[in-house]
Amino acid sequence: MRRRARELWIIVFLLPLAFLGIFYVYPLLSIFDVSLRPGGLVDLSAFVRLLSSDYYIGTLLFTVYQAALSTAVTLLLATPCAFVFARYQFRGKSLLLSLATLPFVLPTVVVALAFATLLGKNGLLNDLLMALYSLEYQPIQLERSLAMIIIAHVFYNIAVALRIMTSYWSSLGSSVEEAARCLGADELSLWRDIRLPLIRPAMLSAGLLVFIFSFTSFGVILILGGIRFATLEVQIYYQAVNMFNLPLAAALSLVQILSMLFMMMIYTSTQKKLQLALASSASVAKRPRRALERLCLGICVALIAILLFSPLLALVMRSVLVAGQLDFANFASLAEKSRGSLLFIAPIEAVFNSLRFALITMFTALCLGLIASYMIERRGRLSRLLDPLFMLPLATSAVTLGFGFIIALDEPPLNLRASWLIIPVSHTLVALPFVIRSVLPSLRAIPPSLREAAQTLGAKPIDTLLTIDLPLLGRGIAVGAVFAFTVSMGEFGASLFVAQRESVTIPVVIYRLLGDPGFASYRQSLAMSVILMLVCACGFVIIERLRIAGVGEF
Amino acid sequence: MLQLERVSHAYGDIVSLRDVSLDLEPGEILCLLGPSGCGKTTLLRIIAGLETDYDGAVIFDREDIGAVPVHRRGFGLMFQDFALFPHLATADNIAYGLKRLGFNREEIGEKVQRLLQRVGLEGFDKRDVASLSGGQKQRVALARSLAPNPRLLMLDEPLGSLDAQLRDQLALELRQIIKSAGLSAIYVTHDHREAYAVADRIAVMNIGSVRQHGSPRQVYRRPACAFVARFLGLHNVFTTGDGRLTSLLGHAGDGSRGTGSTILIHPSGIRLESGRTDDTTPTEVTLETAVFRGESYDLTATTDFGPRLSFSVRELPVNVGEKLNVYILPDAIIPLED
Repeated sequence: MRRRARELWIIVFLLPLAFLGIFYVYPLLSIFDVSLRPGGLVDLSAFVRLLSSDYYIGTLLFTVYQAALSTAVTLLLATPCAFVFARYQFRGKSLLLSLATLPFVLPTVVVALAFATLLGKNGLLNDLLMALYSLEYQPIQLERSLAMIIIAHVFYNIAVALRIMTSYWSSLGSSVEEAARCLGADELSLWRDIRLPLIRPAMLSAGLLVFIFSFTSFGVILILGGIRFATLEVQIYYQAVNMFNLPLAAALSLVQILSMLFMMMIYTSTQKKLQLALASSASVAKRPRRALERLCLGICVALIAILLFSPLLALVMRSVLVAGQLDFANFASLAEKSRGSLLFIAPIEAVFNSLRFALITMFTALCLGLIASYMIERRGRLSRLLDPLFMLPLATSAVTLGFGFIIALDEPPLNLRASWLIIPVSHTLVALPFVIRSVLPSLRAIPPSLREAAQTLGAKPIDTLLTIDLPLLGRGIAVGAVFAFTVSMGEFGASLFVAQRESVTIPVVIYRLLGDPGFASYRQSLAMSVILMLVCACGFVIIERLRIAGVGEF
Repeated sequence: MLQLERVSHAYGDIVSLRDVSLDLEPGEILCLLGPSGCGKTTLLRIIAGLETDYDGAVIFDREDIGAVPVHRRGFGLMFQDFALFPHLATADNIAYGLKRLGFNREEIGEKVQRLLQRVGLEGFDKRDVASLSGGQKQRVALARSLAPNPRLLMLDEPLGSLDAQLRDQLALELRQIIKSAGLSAIYVTHDHREAYAVADRIAVMNIGSVRQHGSPRQVYRRPACAFVARFLGLHNVFTTGDGRLTSLLGHAGDGSRGTGSTILIHPSGIRLESGRTDDTTPTEVTLETAVFRGESYDLTATTDFGPRLSFSVRELPVNVGEKLNVYILPDAIIPLED
């Protein structure tokens, strides 16, 4: 009896590892295989082609260039804002800082479309300027430009940079700066000698994170840039899906995987430094007094608010205003398939698909994530390896995952390619790290003495789990569940690879609709985006309300 | 040299300083002594120029310095958490203020070496400040604030984060270093023993105002009010007007004082034997507790009629629970302000 229970536990514990092995390691190895041994024999011709072609070298260079540019612009805006937010207290500060993280959960297709409706050729801003100054032409020409991509990346990443630097800056306390002032430092030397050197670890850490996000950005570049601005990620997709050049796509994926691994290693090392410094005392933010302080604060708040809300507002306005009138026709049209569309189903059916997949993802990711968290929590040599192991999907680009799926899971016994199951499976893989990061802090916060007390009072292991652990983990589990749901709803890169005909999800449908000719499809894509945005925003609100200090931080 | 004139300050609705007036002579060490939250650190920050929102005047060398920004004041401030620059090595921390003054490289190197020597940290130049112990950090912070030769040195609980043993030793060292540099200093602490060791003059503060100032001896011998007495560890504070107290004081007390006034019976004036010339009558008390302090015993004793007395003796006269006679010297009875 005892022995059987033990065996059962081992099987349960093996579940997440098996999942990771089959759906993460195996597809990745398949990519290695296809890129290095396309015909069963070692053949590096794909690599030779890759490295000898100016075109693909150009792709790689452009990927680095746009990521570096996005990082530079983000830091340039975020650093002064972070300083002001750390230094001054004002009404609505915590609300603004928390709202600034909203883009984190917004699907890339929604953000891309939102910027197109704001800054595109027929965007809201152009309409506004033309009406205001009676212009004959569109003054803003950002469509299919690098600037548009960079702006969208800044939108995505500024919150991450802002959060890291603001909390770091607040934690530094004010006494070091005051000491420098007492020793004769004026405002200029304060920035040069004290503030910038001190914030450097946080800047480096935030910058690396922004760089990684921009390096792997897919949806934004695919929609706002197109093939002319192809990054590695977009190129993998084109080669695999449009050109069906699998060895080349696999070689590109390999480059992507190795670059990501390299960058994640550097990022992890900067994180350690950051945590060391964060041990110091907290500071007090003051209310701005002088006019100059108020002005700086006002500019920063306005900047963040405009950057955050104007594209989302433009998207909503474009979707509900038809010829200047409030009209929900765009939403009503979702029930029918527009003529000439390449879609196999009416858009509204994709909403049901997405909801179904998100619920399945939530369930599987929670089960696997809880088991994995317990494995990590058991402390020991193994758990130190397990934690980064389960985080690996987070460090792998969605396109790489999707590509690995279609080349690995297309033959028996794992012929999932034609099944809709492949979608929740891929989403679970992406959501798993989020669930673990949400549950683990609450799990670690449970003192072992509580469980021991329960045991001395006669609780069996399963009783302890149900009466002590689960109630105390409640919040962490809820946050993890909502994360998994939202991640699944918005997932784009992997879904684009694996979603077939009838099983398409909302983000995939939005992308397909944008490719369709005709205004009807465009209006449908607007309506779909607003629906997706609202679902994700709800998820965001729930996460923010449930989040206790330290839960779900990345 | 430094005068504070009716300085008041508030954090929002909470008044932290109320009409504080003080002055500091050249070469003097003034200690601001008080419990946490009494406003002593705020007062220090106002003098340093870090706190600019206050009423009243801060006058230095006959000049109101209210409009002078922090970095032009040339005052040194040693922070409670030391506030060492974490990204600079020990020597660079000390050199920071010298660089601001525009000294050249050789001069700075020379001065830093001399300071390291003075605080007993020779050879520590290249050390990362994070790797220093608490006592070493304290010395670096002191050296850093001494380096630009400040017109006034301020120290905010400089020994607060160190353990008690180290504190006694360092307090004396601090005084010697400040005196040998010929500096005027304001020293903030909540520990009266530390204040006695360091200060020429003590200002005892409570709830935003100065309750008494004078030499350490004056303040200890003749505390002005019940708060000061209790804060300095003098617990025999009683309210007169109670017949029982009058009988305790016997001949020593001047019964002429009105009822309801407060007095302190200074423990140094409670003896086991009567003085040669005094004709005090003994009071019978019961020994309640006795704490061995090495050189002496701290005793508390109850009287038949109520109040409890605390005092120290060299040898334990009787066992706990037994009765003994004590003599209260007339000058041990100190009237306190209300």
